Amino acid sequence: MVSFHPDSKFLTDFAAGSLPLSEAVCVAAHLEFCGKCRAHVQQLSDVAAQMMVRLDPVVDDNDGFESLMQRIESSDPAPAGQVSNIAAKAAVSATGIPRVVEKLAGGSLQNLNWVKLGKSLRIAPMDIGCKSRQTAIYDIKAGRPMPEHEHRGEEITVLLKGSFSDADGKYVKGDFVVRYAGERHQPTATLDTDCICLVSLEQPVKASSWWYRLMEPFVQYRLSGFSR
Amino acid sequence: MDNDIDMESAVTQLNRSTVPDAWAESVRLVAVKRDRAAFQVLYKHFSPLIRAFLLKSMGSGANRSEAEEITQEVLIKVWNKAATFNPAKASVNTWIFTIARNTRIDFIRRNDRNNREIDIEDIWHDAESPEPLVDMQQRRAEQVIKQAMATLPEEQVQVLYKAFMEGKSHNEVAEELSLPLGTVKSRIRLALNKMQILIDR
Repeated sequence: MVSFHPDSKFLTDFAAGSLPLSEAVCVAAHLEFCGKCRAHVQQLSDVAAQMMVRLDPVVDDNDGFESLMQRIESSDPAPAGQVSNIAAKAAVSATGIPRVVEKLAGGSLQNLNWVKLGKSLRIAPMDIGCKSRQTAIYDIKAGRPMPEHEHRGEEITVLLKGSFSDADGKYVKGDFVVRYAGERHQPTATLDTDCICLVSLEQPVKASSWWYRLMEPFVQYRLSGFSR
Repeated sequence: MDNDIDMESAVTQLNRSTVPDAWAESVRLVAVKRDRAAFQVLYKHFSPLIRAFLLKSMGSGANRSEAEEITQEVLIKVWNKAATFNPAKASVNTWIFTIARNTRIDFIRRNDRNNREIDIEDIWHDAESPEPLVDMQQRRAEQVIKQAMATLPEEQVQVLYKAFMEGKSHNEVAEELSLPLGTVKSRIRLALNKMQILIDR
């Protein structure tokens, strides 16, 4: 059962279209797991639509209908009667990874450039052209802890597969977890299965163990090296 | 399959119990018959509203001719995607708003000279609900929203307007109105609660 959801700020900004891309991808991934939040986003879109139809209409002096039809008819991909059969999209693909994540990864997580960090963790940066944040997939080995780290900025984690726990509790597939600057934690993947997460980071995480601190310049180098 | 038929008739009944969507028939005619007259009806009603929304939401960098170009893009999508419109799930108003919103996001990205090609619809896509009954609850919720919106106090309308029509994030709204982020968030939540949109957090 998904029990951690994006708050009203995330959902409103998502429905309004103002949420930066990296965060929007996290919300979209969560929505594929969560019907309740999907319904909320739909309702918020209804609010926006009701506001739009109440705006003072801005009428264009010259009626552009004929020129619009010319544009359409010179490039109409779907002739009359041929209703394109958009198959109902399965919420989550066969691999169990949200479609939005697989699409942005170029079809499969395998296509990403994975960087191994010690025995328990590998990271694949995702280039989604968002300047304000880093987006990456983390893969933590079953039963292994990640280095304890402290957040310099906000971090969003969406659990895509497996589960992990930290001092505050246990998180399962679909959960949307937000950590704020200054919080420290050490997530551990649960024993039975590897844990795969989508992570959106406002600032690079500051590691508190000497080991991770030694690794950090390397991580930064690799992360920036792979972003086009 | 029996199950599907039961569901369908339940949906038909529920459909009758809600206010009919005057524009849905026009969209259907565009989808099935490529009906120009029906499309012109939609064009006449919606293009001045789409244009108004885009002029407000595309930011200060947008000029009239850009807003016009994006308005045309939205209407072309309405024509091309008419067959994907599902009247059980959303009203035509909401469907057209989401197309306008996505086209606007795309425009802003292109303007940023972002070289990473992304299909915005991969992120802001129409989530398919597998349960028609959930869709129907959705449609009734829309009526509640419509009625409650008329009763909201001015300070709540103001923040909703900035968020949804001007496309400003919570942070930007807070900055512009010199209000703490928490105040903006709580005003929006109060308004949403009145419209029976009950987000736990």
